[in-house]
Amino acid sequence: MKQLRAWGNDLMVFLFPLETDRWLTVLRIGLGLQLAVYTLFLKNDWHYLFAGTAKGLVSRELGEAITSLDSPFIPKLGWLVVLGGHIGVGEEMVLSVAWAGLLCAGCFLLLGLFCRPAAIIAWFLHLCAAESGGLLAYGADNLMTMGLFYLMLSPLPDRYSLDQCLVNREPKDPQLLGFWQRVLQLHLCIVYFIGGLAKCLGSGWWDGSNLWRALTRPPFNVISPDILIRFKYVLPVLGISICLLEVGYVIFIWMKKTRLVWLVGILGMHIAIGLTMGMYLFALVMIVLNLAAFGVDSGVLFLRHRQRETTDYTDYTDGTDKEAQA
Amino acid sequence: MTSKRIYAAWAGVHFFLITVICLRGIFALVATDATILPSALNTCARSGEVVLASVLGKDLAASNAWRLGIATYLHAAGSQAGYGFFAPNIPGYHKLTLELYHEDGHMEYDVPHVQGGAAALRLDSLLDRLADPLYEPLREVTVKLLVLSVWQEHPDVKKIRAIFGSVNPPNISDFEHGKRESFQPLFSYDFSLRNEENQSTPQ
Repeated sequence: MKQLRAWGNDLMVFLFPLETDRWLTVLRIGLGLQLAVYTLFLKNDWHYLFAGTAKGLVSRELGEAITSLDSPFIPKLGWLVVLGGHIGVGEEMVLSVAWAGLLCAGCFLLLGLFCRPAAIIAWFLHLCAAESGGLLAYGADNLMTMGLFYLMLSPLPDRYSLDQCLVNREPKDPQLLGFWQRVLQLHLCIVYFIGGLAKCLGSGWWDGSNLWRALTRPPFNVISPDILIRFKYVLPVLGISICLLEVGYVIFIWMKKTRLVWLVGILGMHIAIGLTMGMYLFALVMIVLNLAAFGVDSGVLFLRHRQRETTDYTDYTDGTDKEAQA
Repeated sequence: MTSKRIYAAWAGVHFFLITVICLRGIFALVATDATILPSALNTCARSGEVVLASVLGKDLAASNAWRLGIATYLHAAGSQAGYGFFAPNIPGYHKLTLELYHEDGHMEYDVPHVQGGAAALRLDSLLDRLADPLYEPLREVTVKLLVLSVWQEHPDVKKIRAIFGSVNPPNISDFEHGKRESFQPLFSYDFSLRNEENQSTPQ
């Protein structure tokens, strides 16, 4: 029983470390930028992708019907269209407002203005678009929803936000800040471990053929196969490195000695995915999530402030928490 | 302390659900013999997948509150799918080619298209999904909608034949020997647009 209680205490200490809000600043600004890029990238196709029957690429209603098979309570753009219909606003206008709302929410998050409402609106509108898109959605959408979900629940605003400058609020509970960062860290570990494990189970990642296929198939074929063929002996090494980076993330990102190396490796992999496959949104969201989760502690960001951080949260915590941390 | 316990309990449930989703995805890969693991494990993986699906309430009635609650929460958290991106292997890609038959008798080729690169990525993702047997019931209606999107740009077209197929890119050594990608038609559909009738002829 004593042992069980000790484990429980250890778990609580692990889940609630003392943390400043610098990681939250990174997450807020990063996801704000991500949202802005997302909306601007889809600007010309927004109505075409999300219009109803016979007006768009694939009817929005089809995507929403598929989502509703899982649950009719999942937010969709169709809800907003129906709502708009009640007050005499047409579908086209509702879609335009949703697009503008997402862009504004992204800009507000970038600036740190009305952080909490902006995060909630961003999460809701993005979720609506991702779910209505249904068949057109891909991995980056889920990761964006995940990031916005955590951002919305985290203790906003952070000290670098305009909200904080305009209204001087009390400092946030450093243990709560630590908890939400821990949640993000754990989630990323699951993402990479499962991604790495699934890759390890495929023969093509061991001989480089999957990398060849990934880099030569449209629409990811940014590099010409004729150039790629010159590096054919490097592909197996890169394929195995990706598997090891992803599977090893769950262990080596937690060790102080290897954290920086692993983080730089993972960031390098995502930058390469963005540049060589044209998956800019996917690359950007993964870079933002990694920097927020582990970038601050590893020294990649805010290196100069690390010393000061240790004094920042001593103002807030009481003696009990300090003992628990010790 | 109580609030910390509530947060910890939420985290426990949250990560339990995410782990179940992810493991289910891995089991599904093994069950379909898509991995390098021995085929003897397929049955075990299938059983594991069924058990994990029942944890998520998938075996309950579609209107069951537990099932709906879990599904809604997972979608809201962006965690309704696993993270096996580009895994275990990268298959060929899929293409939808449209033969447009004009009233004056001439024929031209077209494909569904979007303006931006980000949307093109989504269209590509849609076409790959259509090849999945899971989406078989939706295939015809989706192709019809895609055809409709192209038809709107060509109002004088009388008939459209949509040919959906997989493109198999060459591997490295084949590419070095001059071999290029090959197209293998999987299904074709004929749509007569003027009278809004359509016939589908899967091949």
